[in-house]
Amino acid sequence: MAASKCTRLTVALSRHLLDSVDCVLFDCDGVIWRGDQAIPGAPEVISSLKKNGKRVFFVTNNSTKTRQMYADKLDKLGFEATADEVFGTAYCSAVYLKNVCKIDGKVYLIGSNAMRQELEDVGIRPLGVGPDPVSGVQKDWADVPLDKEVQAVLVGFDEHFSYMKLNRALQYLCNPDCQFVGTNTDTRLPLEGGKAVPGTGCLLRAVETAAQRQAQVVGKPSSFMFECVTNQFGLDPEKCLMVGDRLDTDIMLGSNCGLKTLLTLTGVSTVEEADANLKSKCPLQQKMVPDYYIDSIADILPALQA
Amino acid sequence: MADNGGCVTLRGALIRDLLDSKHNVLFDCDGVIWNGETAVTGAPEVVSLLKQRGKRVFFVTNNCTRPRENYVQKFSRLGFTDVAEEEIFSSAYCSAAYLRDVARLEGKVYVIGCGGVMKELRDAGVPVAEEEDAEPGASIYTCPLDPDVKAVLVGYDENFTFMKLAKACCYLRSPECLFLATDPDPWHPLRGGRVTPGSGSLTAALETASSRKATVIGKPSRFMFDCIASQFDVDPARSLMIGDRLETDVLFGSNCGLTTVLTLTGVSTLEEALVYRDSQEPQKKHCAPDYVIESVADFLQALDE
Repeated sequence: MAASKCTRLTVALSRHLLDSVDCVLFDCDGVIWRGDQAIPGAPEVISSLKKNGKRVFFVTNNSTKTRQMYADKLDKLGFEATADEVFGTAYCSAVYLKNVCKIDGKVYLIGSNAMRQELEDVGIRPLGVGPDPVSGVQKDWADVPLDKEVQAVLVGFDEHFSYMKLNRALQYLCNPDCQFVGTNTDTRLPLEGGKAVPGTGCLLRAVETAAQRQAQVVGKPSSFMFECVTNQFGLDPEKCLMVGDRLDTDIMLGSNCGLKTLLTLTGVSTVEEADANLKSKCPLQQKMVPDYYIDSIADILPALQA
Repeated sequence: MADNGGCVTLRGALIRDLLDSKHNVLFDCDGVIWNGETAVTGAPEVVSLLKQRGKRVFFVTNNCTRPRENYVQKFSRLGFTDVAEEEIFSSAYCSAAYLRDVARLEGKVYVIGCGGVMKELRDAGVPVAEEEDAEPGASIYTCPLDPDVKAVLVGYDENFTFMKLAKACCYLRSPECLFLATDPDPWHPLRGGRVTPGSGSLTAALETASSRKATVIGKPSRFMFDCIASQFDVDPARSLMIGDRLETDVLFGSNCGLTTVLTLTGVSTLEEALVYRDSQEPQKKHCAPDYVIESVADFLQALDE
């Protein structure tokens, strides 16, 4: 596309942009839905894109749902989508552990039942899901028995996060051969009403600090999420459009993988932030500038329905 | 006297000369004078002899799990005679002192921490927000917040939960709410080579969640020394800091202008000290000790004369 960046996507430009791509990847939170409410017009955008012959995928850092659970939510909110079009970090972490880390045994998991499910589905056995508080005095719980078959520690969103889980993860990670993977580094969960709940990034930082080790991160902006999609569906990056609401995850992923990028303003990031990145001299910030921006994805409907 | 992070091994006459030139000796505890429930051999005698020679002795520890009166009992149990509560400066005690005297907190503090911290806060007269028992169905989205909370203090907490992290994060959304951490230690050594997560790891979670940096009370921050200096007449130039952790004890000593000694009975090694000594970065050089000893018992040869 043109060398100019951070341009408002007008109807005319929309037509041009859509003609130049055959695949659109959408982030979910803040893009097609907010909490449990679809962004008005979003379901129509998805079905129109498909009617226009475009492939559509959903790429999300949220690790609390399996692909099937996402498919169910998409369906409930009026979107036409199937489980194999969804790439959440629960699924992608399982793929990463299996194919990249070559894990075929056990994993110590700080995460959700959804993550446990996705791991089991690829033949990896997860330990540790669910509540796990400290009990007894330090000399009882400090010597936790370690399972010698654990080959990796995986950290995702876990509302049962506790000191005991942090302790167990640390014990496993003292072994340098034990691999260390995190689903994503988002610091907050997106929520309605301006409330913000600590995200996976916080839990990951706690474990990284205790273990003095850095995790391999699967989620956006890591290009692995895009590789996951293209390995299964054979995509041409130049004909892909990444639509997201976060400059530091969605747009950066697009930059990292050579995709066209569209920032929607129904979520986290603002045009002001994008402009500041554009004007900055920092190469990293330059990767967080979208090609285009739009108030809401519903605004591309006129171009699609023409 | 070499006072430039040179990692000089202390022996013979050098020890005597060093002790003669110093009036105050500050000891870290874990890994220096004891390991768990076992005194480092010779440590009780060294402390006793220093006092007999008229030196002032202080104990400066990042360990925030016990109130000072418990430390007095531990000293006694491990064979250290006549260690007074007033000589003990723990991060729990100093955090309470900070809130009361420096921040002059008007309101409550929300604490992520254990009994030791709670006791010190109560003894200092700093009101603590009560932790309500989790009601069934209470969630991170609906938990009640106390409007009187004006500070958050985070330290080692075996009962750390996601809920506590979420609540603390809510309080920290107000820029007027203070954000304190007892100490930055990422992990602590336990018996048998095991380690356990430290306050630093919990603080990291909260800093990430709130996008704010905590004010750290414990070493290597200066505050614990300022706390001692506010109660006793201590001249940094005549003070010695003996510790086992380069990034906390030695850096603390360096930050406060004290002469620093690394003892090898704890966490850090001589190799690590030399790497810091030879580094080009100024911050790293400050983690290199002036002197190195195998154990505090090495002082006995000079003190026994």
